[in-house]
Amino acid sequence: MEQKDIVLDVRKLNTSFISDGATVHIVKDVSFQLERGKTLAIVGESGCGKSVTVHSIVKLLPQNARFTAEQVLYRRLDEKTGGITEFDLAKMDPKGKEMRSMRGADLGMVFQDPMSSLNPVYRVGDQVAEALMEHNRGMKKSEAREKVLQMFRNLGIPDPERRIMDYPHQFSGGMKQRVVIAIAMINNPEIIIADEPTTALDVTIQAQIMELMKELQLNMGKSIILITHNIGLVAEQAEDVCVMYMGRIVEFGSLEQIFENPLHPYTKALLRSVPVLGLADDQKLETIPGATPNPASLGVGCEFADRCPERSEACSAKNVPAYEVEPRHRVRCIKFSQFKEVD
Amino acid sequence: MELNKSHASNMFQKNVRKFLRNKLAMIGMVVMLIILLMCVFAPVFTSYRADQPDFSARTQPPNLPHILGTDKLGRDVFSRILYGGRYSILIGVTGAFFGSLIGVILGAIAGYFGKLIDSAIVRLSEIFQTVPNMILILILGAVFGRSIGNLLFIFAITGWMTTFRIVRNEFIALKGETYVQVCEAFGMSKIDIMFKQILPNVMSPVIVATTVNVAHFILSEAGLSFIGVGVPSATPTWGNILNAAKSLDVISNYWWLWVVPGVVITVFVLAVNFFGDGLRDVLDPKQQ
Amino acid sequence: MLKFILKKLIQMIPMLLFISFLVFGALQLTGIDPVSYIATPDMAANQENLDLLRERLGLNQPFLIRYFNWVGDILRGNFGYSITNGTPIGVLIAQRLPATIELALISMVVSAVLGISIGIVSAIYQNSPIDYLGRFFAVLGQAIPQFFFGICLIQIFSIKLGWLPSSGRYSTYATPLRHFILPCLTLTLSLTSVLMRYSRNNMLGVLNSDYIKTARMKGISETKVYVKHAFRNAMRPVLVILCFRLPMLISGSVVIESVYNWPGIGSVITDAVIAGDYPVVMVTTLMVAASILIASFLVDVLTALLDPRVRLGEE
Repeated sequence: MEQKDIVLDVRKLNTSFISDGATVHIVKDVSFQLERGKTLAIVGESGCGKSVTVHSIVKLLPQNARFTAEQVLYRRLDEKTGGITEFDLAKMDPKGKEMRSMRGADLGMVFQDPMSSLNPVYRVGDQVAEALMEHNRGMKKSEAREKVLQMFRNLGIPDPERRIMDYPHQFSGGMKQRVVIAIAMINNPEIIIADEPTTALDVTIQAQIMELMKELQLNMGKSIILITHNIGLVAEQAEDVCVMYMGRIVEFGSLEQIFENPLHPYTKALLRSVPVLGLADDQKLETIPGATPNPASLGVGCEFADRCPERSEACSAKNVPAYEVEPRHRVRCIKFSQFKEVD
Repeated sequence: MELNKSHASNMFQKNVRKFLRNKLAMIGMVVMLIILLMCVFAPVFTSYRADQPDFSARTQPPNLPHILGTDKLGRDVFSRILYGGRYSILIGVTGAFFGSLIGVILGAIAGYFGKLIDSAIVRLSEIFQTVPNMILILILGAVFGRSIGNLLFIFAITGWMTTFRIVRNEFIALKGETYVQVCEAFGMSKIDIMFKQILPNVMSPVIVATTVNVAHFILSEAGLSFIGVGVPSATPTWGNILNAAKSLDVISNYWWLWVVPGVVITVFVLAVNFFGDGLRDVLDPKQQ
Repeated sequence: MLKFILKKLIQMIPMLLFISFLVFGALQLTGIDPVSYIATPDMAANQENLDLLRERLGLNQPFLIRYFNWVGDILRGNFGYSITNGTPIGVLIAQRLPATIELALISMVVSAVLGISIGIVSAIYQNSPIDYLGRFFAVLGQAIPQFFFGICLIQIFSIKLGWLPSSGRYSTYATPLRHFILPCLTLTLSLTSVLMRYSRNNMLGVLNSDYIKTARMKGISETKVYVKHAFRNAMRPVLVILCFRLPMLISGSVVIESVYNWPGIGSVITDAVIAGDYPVVMVTTLMVAASILIASFLVDVLTALLDPRVRLGEE
């Protein structure tokens, strides 16, 4: 695979939070590559650091967060010339002009809870238009309105002429999420980050929203990072999968690699705990034994060791590196130490 | 059940540790306790009585036998402040307690029964909210006369609205919970459900609100007594001591008569507020 | 919007009626016989004269009738007379209420501007020295008894420095503005502290909310995030608190009028209560309640302008 096909290359991203004078590492040495035009799913239990990871990429972290990364390289493709421009987001000031010009224009984000993602005091149309006008200075209001209307139509919001004048509280949850997607998409960014976009929605609406996102990706060639704890969703949407546990990516690979040949005990356990349609009567749904540890009290070694059915002494001796078991399939487990160590 | 208990005591230990780590709250608690204990055990700290005039020692600045000086009748300011603190603190605490009691009862009734009863009590609280406390107190003072008991009564019936709002809103939220419905299905009496099942869940914010009200009522008492409509002037409360500072003569010539009691009130109220904030951080982290 | 304003205005009527009824009822309970104040000693000796006076003042009629007569009179602009000195209450109010309203209103505006701006700056620069300083003053401002603060100001600015007068509203030796500064400062203190604390906490809450993340994700500048997206949302609960605190402002002004001899309605009420002049107490209380209702109505309108959910009648 050529470098220019990797739209986002994250290397050794670390984020920690300072609370009550203590530093808690939430994201540890996270590295992954997002391919252009593909969907990468980041899966894991709640609290595993998947949301903090993407918030670190767009640099929207709370005051008490500390962030370092070797690189967060974004390769912008010029559609006309086919040329590539590289930007290292890791080096940008979170509140600086450079970073702001990336947000919205090159990176769009859809948040978890549509109920609270829209400003209650402004009309939805204006909120979408604001994102548009910010990156297109001097655009006429009427022109912006046309674009917003077109976007609403694309997203299947009925009666857009009337709806753009409404306030968020007049929208249902699913419709609100469409507006949030409209805000994320209006500048036609290359990367869309969707942070559990359907968790807060009804099941039927979930399906609609996910279908919509898939469509947008297929028709407009977007690269998507999808954060979820819903394995079913991953199977439907993603090409590549990152499995995260307690701040680390424990396994990374293509959808087939992860689903057909899961290597890490945590990945295996995760897949076994998902209900599948047509589950045989005598087949029991498994749970992962033990509870998620407190990130503040973790020692060295594999974070999953305490709950792992295949653990050995060596697991807790030192931090486990990632091993490349087959091309692009990496796993952070000591059982595979005969393979090549990668960072 | 055992597990539950150890969990609860863990929570408690955690909360205590959190409180102990909060420096301001600890300072507040210590200062509050020091002033409180000095007032309660006033005779240990001073040999003068609060109402003992000594015409040979009038308006003396702070000196050795009278460490905070004497007032116009030769009474020892230090002992007046200590004995006055007994009344002021007692008024603050009792007023806040009864205010919260009314608030809890009305809030529970309004929140649990809802509908007409709820809207009637809410309206009532809005009206109490609209009429300035001070004027209500003035009018009620005219109706019932001036005494500590009446002042407490007035504080109680003008200080229940905050607790009421908290309790009512929580009750409305908790009423729909499954455990309440289970209790109802078992035929538990309404009173038991209200006060034994739901109420314990709302006690934390109520305790915090009561603490805040203690400080508020100590300030109110001082204000009312200062303008001469609070506690009868024969009783040495902090407000009555400051009442002396109504004349420019006292303000400019006898600073110890007003600076000292003023600073004591401020420090005590400050301490109670810090303590209350610390409690809130521990008990009720949602509200700020 | 018009519907909202009308609805709010109509809601005020039963409130006022109920308050007037309470006030009227409470004062009937005092059992003070107003006739005993009016009658001169030689008149009082004659029972017939007393009865006649009672008749003339309508004191013999049943409670409800007297109440409705009284409300009717007020609606016609006839506020009645003080029973201690015969002054028309309308005149008394015209003389004194403006002084209180001036003090309370300007203090409200000053504390709103000060409290909200300091609170918001504190929130934006959370845990910076500015924030600590602001929080320190907010806590202190809520702990100092208002009158004590007033006395301190008198001691410093009137007695020691001689810059500002210590009492009254008008005088030959100082401009009205200089008379106004100390009372206003004193009254402003606690409300400013309260609003500072609330604005800070609300602003912090809003800045942590998802729609601020959405706004930042659009790439707009921090200034725009604060001014356009955070401010309006943070202000709504602050206005509600302001509304709740209005009566306290009046309470505070009663005390402050006493400290600075400010010729406002507070001293009228205090004197009338002590003298048992109940027509005066009733009408002045009603006026104060009405002023508060009007002020909270204005705050409601402002809230509705800020927040479409209120304006469109949904919560």
